[in-house]
Amino acid sequence: MKFWHKIYLSSILSFVFIFNAACIMVIERNHSKMLQQEINSGISQNMNIHSSVNAIVPTLRIYDSIDYEKTVLTNIAKEFVEKNVDQHTYMDIMNDKGQSIFSNTDFKMPSQREELDKLAADEIKYILRDIDGRTLLFTTNITDINHKNYVFTYIKDISLVYQERLAQYSFFIRVGMAAVLLYMIIMFFISRGLTKPIKQLNQTAQIIAKGNFSERVQLKSKDEIGVLARNFNDMAAVVEDKINELELHNQEKQRFINNFTHELKTPLTSIIGYANFLRISKYNKEQLLDGLNVIYSEGKRLESLSLKLMDLILLQGDQYQLEKHDLVAIIAEIKSTMELKAREKHVTIATDCEKGSLLLEKDLIKIVIFNLVDNALKASAAEQIITIRAYWRGSRYVLEVIDQGIGIPKEHQDKIFEPFYVADKSRTRGNNGAGLGLSICQSIARIHHAIFEVSSEENQGTTFRLIFDQGEREGGGIQ
Amino acid sequence: MNKKILIVEDDIHISNIIKMNLNIVNYATTEVYDGLAALEAIERETFDLILLDVMIPKIDGFELMSKIQRHRIPVIFLTAKNSVYDKVTGLKLGADDYMVKPFEAIELLARIETVLRRYGKEESMMQFQDVQVNIDKREVTIHSQPVELTPKEYDLLVVLLKNKNIALSREQFLDKVWGGDYFGETRTVDMHIKSLRKKLHLQENIKTIYKIGYRLED
Repeated sequence: MKFWHKIYLSSILSFVFIFNAACIMVIERNHSKMLQQEINSGISQNMNIHSSVNAIVPTLRIYDSIDYEKTVLTNIAKEFVEKNVDQHTYMDIMNDKGQSIFSNTDFKMPSQREELDKLAADEIKYILRDIDGRTLLFTTNITDINHKNYVFTYIKDISLVYQERLAQYSFFIRVGMAAVLLYMIIMFFISRGLTKPIKQLNQTAQIIAKGNFSERVQLKSKDEIGVLARNFNDMAAVVEDKINELELHNQEKQRFINNFTHELKTPLTSIIGYANFLRISKYNKEQLLDGLNVIYSEGKRLESLSLKLMDLILLQGDQYQLEKHDLVAIIAEIKSTMELKAREKHVTIATDCEKGSLLLEKDLIKIVIFNLVDNALKASAAEQIITIRAYWRGSRYVLEVIDQGIGIPKEHQDKIFEPFYVADKSRTRGNNGAGLGLSICQSIARIHHAIFEVSSEENQGTTFRLIFDQGEREGGGIQ
Repeated sequence: MNKKILIVEDDIHISNIIKMNLNIVNYATTEVYDGLAALEAIERETFDLILLDVMIPKIDGFELMSKIQRHRIPVIFLTAKNSVYDKVTGLKLGADDYMVKPFEAIELLARIETVLRRYGKEESMMQFQDVQVNIDKREVTIHSQPVELTPKEYDLLVVLLKNKNIALSREQFLDKVWGGDYFGETRTVDMHIKSLRKKLHLQENIKTIYKIGYRLED
């Protein structure tokens, strides 16, 4: 059963119940009031007769004749009956021997008249009887005339009261049906309207469940369902973000694997190819030396790849102890090694550093500087200068490695920190790079809560900027 | 006339090893190391087949493939990625086959041969010293004198000729001559080699290579 069905049915059932109960109560109360009125009027009529008979009793006492009594009583009764001719009223007078003195009833008087038992004088009793499909009110009293008891019965047809009740019921049934019908129509729309947002929510949830995570509920109401819809949308947004993030992560991972296999397979193809050639072919001496050289150098390349990969993996997991070091001192420590390498390419390394004491892991920072200078060297041509600058910019300490080399094309700049990403494959291949250096630098920067910035102009040079933001300036001052 | 094959591969070592393997079985080769040079080479000379690496500088392999379609040169592309997407892209662009790195020289030769045969570019005559093989007629002659060979001996001879100077293992011979589902003993190969040596007087040329198998040498 649907929710709106439930609302609909339960409200209709309770409406029918309450409406009916109220109507029945009203009708029954009305009816009993009218009945009471009829009874009261019957009793007062009876009292009227009683008092008029009482007024005559002294006269009758004088004559003391049964016949005369009979005539007088009949006259009184007749007069009364004539006065009330338009009403369905009857009069019945009976003496104590059970003989009828007067009766204008058009029905047979019941033989059993329980109201007469223990009926005291000057007492009026009434009873309701159904006779011949009519409801009759009997009011009875006994009057003592000349020591003879006469039973006066005044009978009134009050069928109308009952007919009225019936008429009210039938009217009520018609009104009730119309009301219920109207109520059903109104409730149909109300319950549908109330549950419509739920239906909408449901549809949206189904669409999202099918994988369309960008779907949202379009509801603007301010009630609880509106709040639910808003919360639902918030939830969907979080799920979508999370999924996009995962997808991105997944793509990154896939790219990593693709690049990794490429980097792995290329040297392997050479090694296997040459080894197999030497194994099965009739080679000459030159080919043998060539092959051995390739196998050796490609093996070395694999070794360096695996070491760098190891670094990258280790950097992602470990907690490093950072200690206060002067970056300038670290640069000075490794400068001679870097210069040795630079001299082979006839490149000069210049330094221009402000003293800066930072929380560092010394060996990791050395790796970063080595890598950046190494990259700069690869990009540089002979007679160019690589500058290492370090300076304070407000509370931040900036380390720059600037070269005048070939630069990095714009479209590559945002990807160079990805593992295995190399802007120019053929160049880097020749330089024995796997494209892991900057990834390692990035990981190390993260350990130091530092960020990387790159600015590069093709054929103008590249500047790598490592910005340390450790909150306070220490050991500053221009050297 | 020797078939000419263009090797487009940016890794110089891989390019070299392919070249050495192809030269040894008498294919002529030209090596280029990027897409642009490949395009120029194709415009300049005619080739019977192109071995094309997908990840090459300047113009990548797939782009190059669509650019040289009109030349109708068979292409086998080389890829390091074992991804279905790459293979499908390559084949859809009209490549005839693909090789996933790292690959074995024998397999590369077999695929080159298959593709060339499909293009009707297979040699119909093969020559080794005095021995002449007419592929169309399945006929072997020495100084115009026919030599009687059993069908398996003939097939074995052709495999040896096609893989001249390359050693094949007994299993490889079984696979190529008797078919992959043949469960014969490697001794069968030894028997046939022995009779080929005798019938064609190639005792000196069909060499037994220690721990590997046999090799036909010049």
